[in-house]
Amino acid sequence: MRSPIRFEKRLTQPAWLSWGIPLLSLLIALVIGGIVLQITGKDALDVYDRIFERGFASKRAIQGSLITATPLAFTGLCAAVAFRMGVINIGGEGQLYVGAIGASMVGIAMDGQPVGFVVVCMLVMGMLFGAAYGSIVGVLRARFNTNEIITSLMLNYIAGILLNYLIFNSRSYWRDPRTQGFPSGKPIGDRGEWTKFSIFGVSVPLGFLIAILAGGAVWLLYKRTRFGFEVGVIADSPRAAAYAGIRTRWTIVAVMALSGALAGLGGASDVGDFRHLLDAKGLQLSNYGYTGIVVAALARLNPLATIFVAVLIGGLTNAGYALQGPDFPSGLVGTLQGLILFSSVAGEVLLRYRIRQNRTPRREAVAS
Amino acid sequence: MNNSLLVVIAASAIFYGTPLFFAALGGVFTERSGVLNLGVEGMMLLGGVTGAWASQHVDGPAWFTVLASILIGMLAGACTGLLHAFLCVTLRTNQTVAGLAITIFAGAVGLSSYFANIWEVAKSPVPRPIRKLDVLGLGEVPVLGPILFSQNVLTYASWILVVVASVYLFRTRFGLHLRAVGESPQTADAMGIDVVRYRYVHTIIGGSLAGLGGVYYSLAIVPTWVDGMTKGAGWIAIALVIFGFWRPGLTLIGAYLFGALQSLGTTLKARNIQISGDLLDALPYALTIVVLVVVSTQFAHRRLGAPASLGQPYEREER
Amino acid sequence: MTSKTAVKMTGIVKRFPGVIANDGVDFELRPGEVHALLGENGAGKSTLSNILTGLYRPDAGRLDIDGEPVSFSSPRDALEAGIGMVHQHFRLVPTFTVAENIVLGEAGASVFVNRDRVIARVQELSERYHLAVDPMAKVWQLSVGEQQRVEILKILYRGARVLILDEPTAVLTPIEADALFMTLRSMVAEGRSIIFISHKLDEVMAVADRITVLRGGKTVGCVDTASTSTKDLASMMVGRSVEFTRVTRQQPATPDDIVLQVSVVSALDDRGRLALTDVSLSVGRGEIVGVAGVAGNGQRELAEVIAGMRSISSGSIAVEGQPIKSGRARSAIEQGIAHIPEDRLHTGLAASHSVEDNMALKNYRTSALSRFRILRRKAIRHQAADLVERYDVKTPDTRTPVRLLSGGNVQKVLLAREFSSLPRVLIAASPTRGLDVGAIETVRSRLVEAADRGLGVLLISEDLDEILSLSDRVLVVYEGRLVANLPIETADRSRIGLLMGGSVDGVGARS
Repeated sequence: MRSPIRFEKRLTQPAWLSWGIPLLSLLIALVIGGIVLQITGKDALDVYDRIFERGFASKRAIQGSLITATPLAFTGLCAAVAFRMGVINIGGEGQLYVGAIGASMVGIAMDGQPVGFVVVCMLVMGMLFGAAYGSIVGVLRARFNTNEIITSLMLNYIAGILLNYLIFNSRSYWRDPRTQGFPSGKPIGDRGEWTKFSIFGVSVPLGFLIAILAGGAVWLLYKRTRFGFEVGVIADSPRAAAYAGIRTRWTIVAVMALSGALAGLGGASDVGDFRHLLDAKGLQLSNYGYTGIVVAALARLNPLATIFVAVLIGGLTNAGYALQGPDFPSGLVGTLQGLILFSSVAGEVLLRYRIRQNRTPRREAVAS
Repeated sequence: MNNSLLVVIAASAIFYGTPLFFAALGGVFTERSGVLNLGVEGMMLLGGVTGAWASQHVDGPAWFTVLASILIGMLAGACTGLLHAFLCVTLRTNQTVAGLAITIFAGAVGLSSYFANIWEVAKSPVPRPIRKLDVLGLGEVPVLGPILFSQNVLTYASWILVVVASVYLFRTRFGLHLRAVGESPQTADAMGIDVVRYRYVHTIIGGSLAGLGGVYYSLAIVPTWVDGMTKGAGWIAIALVIFGFWRPGLTLIGAYLFGALQSLGTTLKARNIQISGDLLDALPYALTIVVLVVVSTQFAHRRLGAPASLGQPYEREER
Repeated sequence: MTSKTAVKMTGIVKRFPGVIANDGVDFELRPGEVHALLGENGAGKSTLSNILTGLYRPDAGRLDIDGEPVSFSSPRDALEAGIGMVHQHFRLVPTFTVAENIVLGEAGASVFVNRDRVIARVQELSERYHLAVDPMAKVWQLSVGEQQRVEILKILYRGARVLILDEPTAVLTPIEADALFMTLRSMVAEGRSIIFISHKLDEVMAVADRITVLRGGKTVGCVDTASTSTKDLASMMVGRSVEFTRVTRQQPATPDDIVLQVSVVSALDDRGRLALTDVSLSVGRGEIVGVAGVAGNGQRELAEVIAGMRSISSGSIAVEGQPIKSGRARSAIEQGIAHIPEDRLHTGLAASHSVEDNMALKNYRTSALSRFRILRRKAIRHQAADLVERYDVKTPDTRTPVRLLSGGNVQKVLLAREFSSLPRVLIAASPTRGLDVGAIETVRSRLVEAADRGLGVLLISEDLDEILSLSDRVLVVYEGRLVANLPIETADRSRIGLLMGGSVDGVGARS
């Protein structure tokens, strides 16, 4: 049997498709999500209406969304940076945890130091810790050709267990000795709490501004530098990279360190901007790392678009937290995120191929 | 004697290893056809939640309810397998991202949690769990009793399955064709083998086996649904496919090794042996990395290597 | 019912995005004939045969088998109609045994494979057609010639009455090619028909009963071999008369002024087996040294080792006395080694990158193209525009991805970049394979010009004619060893052919 349609490779990609397709993907995901909602007995329009209201429709909603968007922007960049080289780092989750551990450590230790200094140290420690954790994956991939998808994922679980150990199962430096009953992290000093900036009356976390800078920096790095050129060639053809004398192994490690550093910044921002302590449970429930993959995919791995998409997905996620309840079942946000990811990978197909109708071959009428 | 530590660990290695084996065997089939499935974790969870739901809602004799739960869980897995096949084979999307999408879509904070929530699956334990049997009354036989004769029905099914799967892969024509599709789809196509059909069928089988692994978690291990209860078992299963060199028998052995590690925490805690529980929890994940490093060296890779076309979509009219 | 035609194709049209591969092709095959399909690379031969084997579906046209109209939707349909193809790039599963490859896809057979029956049948077939091969051997262990025999056996096993062979001699020694022609004759004698695809005039004249010539996706004509000549065929094929003769050198080579010295080098292949054993060779200034051999005898590894893409396990390589670091492409580039690899589009170039990025692929690190690790985009664009003009690359734009260029222009991009680095040594691996006549002439004259200017060229090719027409000296490689070093004056075709097949001093089997 033969299928009624066929795919024809596009030779060139019209420019409008690169933003049109993600937009279409988002719409399709929402439509399918709506169908799921309707089937399971919810009023889809009502649910979407409330998501919009709690995610974007007021100043307060936008502020909340930006707080969620900030770590997502970082984990999105973390995924984008690595995916662009064809290294599938899904360890943003763990790298973010470890970054948070590093940042909260200096945040606690440096109580009383000048504000700016503390903030910078938290950022640097977050980056260093995240970079170190990401490098493990990079080194294993570069040295032993070990599948980075699985190693980075296993390290996520290990980082989660490390968080549990630090806060729940030991009397570590990060645990607040004063808490009775349910253990929690030790609060960082006031000076480690990052300031917020008021822009058009909306208070924007410092971390978000740093994310924008980071997005710009990554964009420049990949577009304008030798390093970015090398990453691009490796992604296109590792054999061509070897042929051109590009040090592929070193570049893999460097990219993984960069990727981890970005996720680590996300962890630092979670501590500095938002929770002001190492929140083992909260971090693990947030799923920032995995959601970052959705963000990066929808942004088609463009660093600047990643920031924008992070706000969008951040709003959705934020509304999800706010609305959690019998009318708004848990799992809905993850389902919608999964649908967005599906439709954006399927959307890539439209970018690469043109869908054509199959015709039966025309037969010349031959009478013989 | 049957309470000696080694016997208990051996018995629980099999008990905890069985769902890993199901999921990994599914992976063997899928990857042998050249399709990479990173959605196993999500497929397992979806199988687990639907199986638990069925156990709560299907009336009838106990065996019927259990059978229905198993089949419904497998069906849910098969549906996600179908979805994955559609994305990877028909749409030729990036297989890695498609698999991740399935895990995020169906996974711990996705559809499986959504279903659990709206169906209130987690409110009560599973009424008809899959219990351990006492085969031929041999359960009390020293050493072998707990290990071989007191497992549940799915474990025994897995032993049949490993034989069937090996024969299928290496002795039958279908297995030969399947391996050809995974090694060289161009060759298979030129020889008149329907590459698309083989990939679809085996991705769906893979999904249903992942679903079966999930059912095992919610019906045999915990007998209650908990969101995200597989805790990365799906990912370990993917690694197991690599350790098992894409062979059912070796995969079973690997699964039992990891089953032993997973059960170690519970077993030792029950005996008041003082080891950090966190360390034990982290062990399977850490060991996965270690073993993966060992088998991914050049030598092992060339020798017992992955299906050559793994992860690559097949296009006939490429030009 | 017997029909006068085994296969009749009328008005076949097949379009691919951006190209019309077949534009109304007519073709007719009689039972019991060897019918050559002659045409340049890109003339539409492979597309036509892929339509006949059910891999591609035509956009228009009509196909009749034994006088009955048919429509194939998959290779299975074609196989059932008795049509089988030996592809240029073999369709074999390397990890399977010969027998397993042969039974692959057998229709309507039992669930379990009866190994003994299969082996017996394979042995019977291989004896009947003199296609000796061990049914239990793994395919990846076989030589290329043996693999081709498996391909032929495979379709005979399926009962093919029409066999299509796509450039079958490209991978064979002249002696193996002669044996193949014998086999084809014995098959035709049994009433089978053969479509022989080639772009080589001599062998088409030697083997075919009739010849259909394709050019630019259209049928130029069909002639009886007896009533035509290579000259006529050449002008039908190219549209003008072509004569490949030995290219004349303006400057003599200076073989004693050594630029490249390879000393007792051994190296492993990708599977970890020894691919090169104690290879020593030198290339002088302005000298073109040809390396002849059947594919898979270590040529790829030799090129990669010199270009620094593969580590050597022992020995050394030096350019003008300066050693290059083993397995360091950057070191080789810095020492002035240019390299045109076999796989142009994915090794020599980054296919999805633009022409300008590819032009900069080897010198983007230089201060001309980057400062403080920041790329100078303008300089990169200027360099590309300049090279595009000097080397006459046909591209819409310097920002066009190279994968969209035609084969000839892809090779021009590579040549432009490699020559512009002013190298001292050039490793050229099958530099004209897959190109049309115009492009072949361009590439060859560029090589000779560069040698005239003093470049040492190591020309690695499976095309013996190319080697004989360009080289000053010929080396022959067999199973990873250099088995001969012949000045061009003493290098004759048949002797090299024997050496390529492994006979010790090139006189072995000669009577």
